[in-house]
Amino acid sequence: MPLIELDNVSKTYNTTAVPIQAVKNVSLKIEKQEFTAIVGPSGSGKTTLLNLIGGLDKPTNGSVLVEGTDISTLKPDALIDFRLHHIGFVFQAYNLVPVFSARENVEFIMLLQKIPKAEREKRAIELLEAVGLGDRIDSRPSQLSGGEQQRVAVARALASRPNFVLADEPTANLSHAAESLLDMMNRLNRNYEMTFVFSTHDPRVIKRSRRVVTLEDGAVVSDVTTAA
Amino acid sequence: MLLTLAWKNTWRNKKRSFIIILSIALGLWGSLLAGAVWMGWGESMVNTAIERDLSNIQIHKKGYTRNKEITNFIPRGFRILKETQHIPGVKAVSGRTLVEAMAASPTSTFGVKIVGIIPAQAKKVTNIHSLLRQGTYFRGRGRNPVIIGKKLADRLGLKLHSKIILSFQGMDGSLNYAACRIVGIYKTNSALFDQSNVFMKQPDLFRLLNSKPAIHEIAVRTESSRIMPKVFDALKTKYPGLAVQTWKELAPEVALISAAMESYTYIFLGLILFALLFGITNTMLMAVMKRVREIGVLIAIGMKRGKVFSMILLETVLLSITGGVAGIVTGGLSIAYFSHTGIDLSAFASGMETFGASTMVHPFLPLDMYIALLVMVVATAILSAVLPAWNAIHIQPSEAIRTY
Ligand SMILES: Nc1ncnc2c1ncn2[C@@H]1O[C@H](COP(=O)(O)OP(=O)(O)OP(=O)(O)O)[C@@H](O)[C@H]1O
Ligand SMILES: [Mg+2]
Repeated sequence: MPLIELDNVSKTYNTTAVPIQAVKNVSLKIEKQEFTAIVGPSGSGKTTLLNLIGGLDKPTNGSVLVEGTDISTLKPDALIDFRLHHIGFVFQAYNLVPVFSARENVEFIMLLQKIPKAEREKRAIELLEAVGLGDRIDSRPSQLSGGEQQRVAVARALASRPNFVLADEPTANLSHAAESLLDMMNRLNRNYEMTFVFSTHDPRVIKRSRRVVTLEDGAVVSDVTTAA
Repeated sequence: MLLTLAWKNTWRNKKRSFIIILSIALGLWGSLLAGAVWMGWGESMVNTAIERDLSNIQIHKKGYTRNKEITNFIPRGFRILKETQHIPGVKAVSGRTLVEAMAASPTSTFGVKIVGIIPAQAKKVTNIHSLLRQGTYFRGRGRNPVIIGKKLADRLGLKLHSKIILSFQGMDGSLNYAACRIVGIYKTNSALFDQSNVFMKQPDLFRLLNSKPAIHEIAVRTESSRIMPKVFDALKTKYPGLAVQTWKELAPEVALISAAMESYTYIFLGLILFALLFGITNTMLMAVMKRVREIGVLIAIGMKRGKVFSMILLETVLLSITGGVAGIVTGGLSIAYFSHTGIDLSAFASGMETFGASTMVHPFLPLDMYIALLVMVVATAILSAVLPAWNAIHIQPSEAIRTY
């Protein structure tokens, strides 16, 4: 069973005067431990596709199966709970709670999972060390650079021990830190056997991806896997 | 950790939080003080009336209050007077002989009530002796000494040591005239009382009435107002044949005003809190609006709606309680200060004295009102939080992250 399976998925936004079909008949399988980039020009539907996979949006047509569960059938609170336990999220920017320190940000998601305090603290410090922020655990987001903030977001995404991490343009707000963030994600992918699905239009990032799915006007136009 | 988060969030916008805390604190401080002044005023009105003549409990013959005949005296009144003295919780008692009379001076006449007392007894029950403007409290010699109010003296055009003629019916229905000497002039806070009460020593009164000693009223002072109900019950069971009444029954208007003061305080507090409700709601709506993306991210990563609701609710309650506690503490301190020094309201209320209230008010607020107030503040906070929290849980994470 694939980790993620999209079967003929479409998403149409009817909120505008002219309905916009952001995702068109996408069928896609993603297996465990993959390191997949969704690429395409602006407006091609990358964010929409990731939101459909992450259960932040519901498809107009087709089904999204995550570990065999059709997530569009879940009730609101069950869906939130599903996200909490199965999916890690990293967004483009401003991922963190500004009043919390790096450690507290990572701990908070485990608190939502009702993990005991000792375990939370141990895991948070471990993960912050893994993303190279062992010496900044008590810094607030405002005291961290953009790249460092994204690293905390990645640590938080891993803290809940999800089945995969979705990252929507994690490097878009970074300049020189983009490559090192990607290298770090790559390392986590190998060391923790963690599946990553991320969107980007940054060539440096695309170069570091093993599988590249290209979207154009909401449809998949190419799907290339390079040997690692 | 949710509490920590809420607390930290409360202080994100220091200026905004400070303003709302200050307005809650000020609102509560003001209404607490106003309430305490009203309560203090009501209390002083009650105390004034109790100390002037009402006392805590009065005993009469049944039907006396409706028909104040001189013959309606308390049967075996002096024995009962002695007995009541020994009931636990009783501080002092005073037997009063009451006679309706006409007071006349060379220029005028006026209807009065003669109150026959034993000065030593009466002193322990009422404070007329301390309210003398002129003369003494039955000290020195002289035939038929009386003490009258300033208002009556003015009306009749009489002065200290003037002669006053009192006419009244005796027990047998005969009309008596008595020439009395004014040995003291008192002034209470009630002009009404001052113009109609003439005090005379009981032996003199009985001699003038040409009758056996008799009393119509036993005034009972209790050790405290808290013990009053117990004493009242004891008296009531002991003397089922007599009319035993507390000051609340005897002067319902005084009791009513004092109760009204408490209601006013609650109504005023309610109004202030109602006004604050909108301020708090508005502040929290703004706080939620500024954090749409952040809340959206939290919902996206797995924070359930119940938790989001609790977070906003907690923030609102913490904010309100901080202001509430500040207001209650400063209010309590101000009340403590002013209850010590007193507030002179004479500038605002020149007409108050006719009501029988002192213009010097010692504000106070019972402890249970502080507790009720804290509960009201929390309730207001919860109410204020509903709309902002409702907005927060309806944030669509995908929308929030895309647009903010
Ligand atoms: N909530 C929405 N309502 C209406 N239209 C939307 C909505 N979200 C996205 N769209 C539209 O759907 C299309 C795909 O948008 P999407 O954000 O998925 O693209 P993207 O590939 O992520 O672009 P970018 O690289 O700029 O982030 C766009 O035309 C966009 O305007
Ligand atoms: Mg996008």
